[in-house]
Amino acid sequence: MKLSDLGENKNAIVAKLGGDSRFISRITSIGLTPGCRLQVVKNDRNRPVLVYSRDTMIALNRSECGGIEVTEV
Amino acid sequence: MSEKVTIALLGQPNSGKSTLFNALTGLRQHVGNWPGKTVEKKEGSFTYGSKEYDVADLPGSYSLSANSDEEVITRDFIASGNADVVCILADSSQLERSLFMVADYAGITVPCFVILNMADVAAAQGKKIDAGLIAQRLGVPAILFSANDKKGYEPFYKALEQAVNKKKTLDVSSLEASYEKIEGYQKVKKLMPEDLIPGYSPMWLAAKTLENDPVVLAKLKNTLDAETVSKIDGYRKGVQGAVETGSAKFAWIDEILSGALIEKKESAALGKLDRIYTHKVWGKPAVVLTILLGLIASFIPALPLMGFGKAFGMLKEPVTAALTSAGCPDFIISIICTVFIQSLSYIFQMLGFVFGVTLVFGLLEEVGVMARVSYVFDNTMGKLGLQGKSVMPFLVSFGCTMGGAAGTRVIDNWGQKVLTIALAWAVPCGAAWAVIPMLSSLFFGPGAVLVIVVILLTMLLHMWITAKIFGRGLVKEEDRYGMIMELPPYHKPKWGALLRYVLGRTKDTFVRVTKVVLLVCAIFWLISYSFSADSVPILYRIGTAIEPVTKLFGLNWQLFVAFVASSVGKEGALGVISALFTGGNFAGAFNQAMSGGGVASNLNEILLANVTKPEALAFIFAITFNMPCVVALAATYQEIHSAKWTAKIAVYYTLTALLLAAVVYHIGLLIF
Repeated sequence: MKLSDLGENKNAIVAKLGGDSRFISRITSIGLTPGCRLQVVKNDRNRPVLVYSRDTMIALNRSECGGIEVTEV
Repeated sequence: MSEKVTIALLGQPNSGKSTLFNALTGLRQHVGNWPGKTVEKKEGSFTYGSKEYDVADLPGSYSLSANSDEEVITRDFIASGNADVVCILADSSQLERSLFMVADYAGITVPCFVILNMADVAAAQGKKIDAGLIAQRLGVPAILFSANDKKGYEPFYKALEQAVNKKKTLDVSSLEASYEKIEGYQKVKKLMPEDLIPGYSPMWLAAKTLENDPVVLAKLKNTLDAETVSKIDGYRKGVQGAVETGSAKFAWIDEILSGALIEKKESAALGKLDRIYTHKVWGKPAVVLTILLGLIASFIPALPLMGFGKAFGMLKEPVTAALTSAGCPDFIISIICTVFIQSLSYIFQMLGFVFGVTLVFGLLEEVGVMARVSYVFDNTMGKLGLQGKSVMPFLVSFGCTMGGAAGTRVIDNWGQKVLTIALAWAVPCGAAWAVIPMLSSLFFGPGAVLVIVVILLTMLLHMWITAKIFGRGLVKEEDRYGMIMELPPYHKPKWGALLRYVLGRTKDTFVRVTKVVLLVCAIFWLISYSFSADSVPILYRIGTAIEPVTKLFGLNWQLFVAFVASSVGKEGALGVISALFTGGNFAGAFNQAMSGGGVASNLNEILLANVTKPEALAFIFAITFNMPCVVALAATYQEIHSAKWTAKIAVYYTLTALLLAAVVYHIGLLIF
């Protein structure tokens, strides 16, 4: 499923990243790579999605994170 | 003579790079732009032992890919051998993620050392970090450090000296072992020329090739024959290179940290404050309230300077009296009092505000609050091509545009900074708010409320259109991406470094602003001064000569001159009108524009007798949307370091103000 469809406080593992190389480079450099665990902290419409991963609170623009596929755990 | 050493600071946003830079260099720093680039360049220097060190604070970015000007500049600076040693910062409280910069650096042949910053935050989180083990595995010096700790700088200098003396580079053997598992990596590396770009090892270049790095790919294309290039293209197609190398980098980081980092795994929870800031209803009001409180708080450190400015202005009368009794010619008295004393008084008062805003909002940035502001307003400001943080200068500009300009220091992208200031000019400042309601209610009675509402709507429209016009040149289409950033944990500021930084910036602003203001004021004084009793000032001649044209905008010559004077300071527009309509001392008009005084007691009758309603409306819009004041102009130049863009914005505002005046004037003619 898409990261942006994941509910608040749900845990997941990044399954796949899609998008142009610029997006891939930005998303991996902030720590989201396939296999890494994350927790959705906030997911409100019209706000960036807040996820917690690798000890870091990360804000992701909603349309940008359309390319992040996750598996809920 | 001891040799000079250049160190470059490299680190992701929020790694504490600016704090370290400010603490190291203090007042010995210089901010400009990289030649021909829209990226800010910060340099400084310090002395330790007998050695002199130059420090370059490289633009913050999350990686060393070539996706933005910031990253390309950072890479070029390092690879071209400008730095003797690179200091890479990582955040100890988020070690796994923030060591990515080190992993991305691995393969660059310039010696480096690693600062595991924010050790205090990590310790508070119960993390135990074995820096010695990490250093051993990295093959370069690495220390635990807190940039906000006054006492703890000795270890930094020791690590620096060690790095300079031993010139070690990162041990990349196990990273390369991970890379080698990536399909195509070994084949690409085999075809990689040894010295394709000096400063980068073939390993680094091969990894960047797989990551589709535009700069490396272009260089390959220019250097190798077509056949080899197409071979390489074949190897990198079908592999998600950046994902693979990213995973390899994190696998390497895990190896480095294994046994060196002990932490309790806990799930994420937002603190009380963050629960409010991220609330879908209360988030925006909370951010606006925070900024407004910050604005009010800015006045506290501002008051002493503002008081000094006022007191300085009071020198005018005694100085005039003294010079007159000494038989000094009138025009010299006028230059000294109207140009020098008045301008400096004005500058000191404004500078107080700049000092306050820089301090308070610099503090909010350092503590981590501005990152929350960015998060909350990302969507709204993104529509204008700006960062969420841009909302702060806009709100501050309701008080003073100069403060708004100073506030843009927290925006790390130069283009977005210029665009933010360009839009902030459209926000009517405190001085405009002192004039608008008074004029509106005089001419339109209760209709004044409507005028103010229309002004606010015009402001929004103005900002939207201005964003379209200037945005294209300032914020490139490919740079208009949504937010991918971290919300750093709140942390304590380093007061000493912050204060030194703020004082330094205030001093720089003072020097530059004084030059611009004195120049503009001198010109203005020259064209408005009557050198002999029977000569008329140039401004009067121009004003009356072009009256047929300005009438199209709804401005007769008196109003037009008042409009021109409002570019110097809006407070004075009414004083100028008083002087002109009563046929009073024309040369005094300028003096009043600067001091904001001299309003005739019967101003209301004067205005109602001489100005029609449509003209009044035109005048209100013209001065509201004119450039804020000469000090704001100078502050803009100080912040964006570009005379070209400052002039562009100023001319644009003068023209659009007249255009708006023309529009409302003709609408007014239809109504009244």
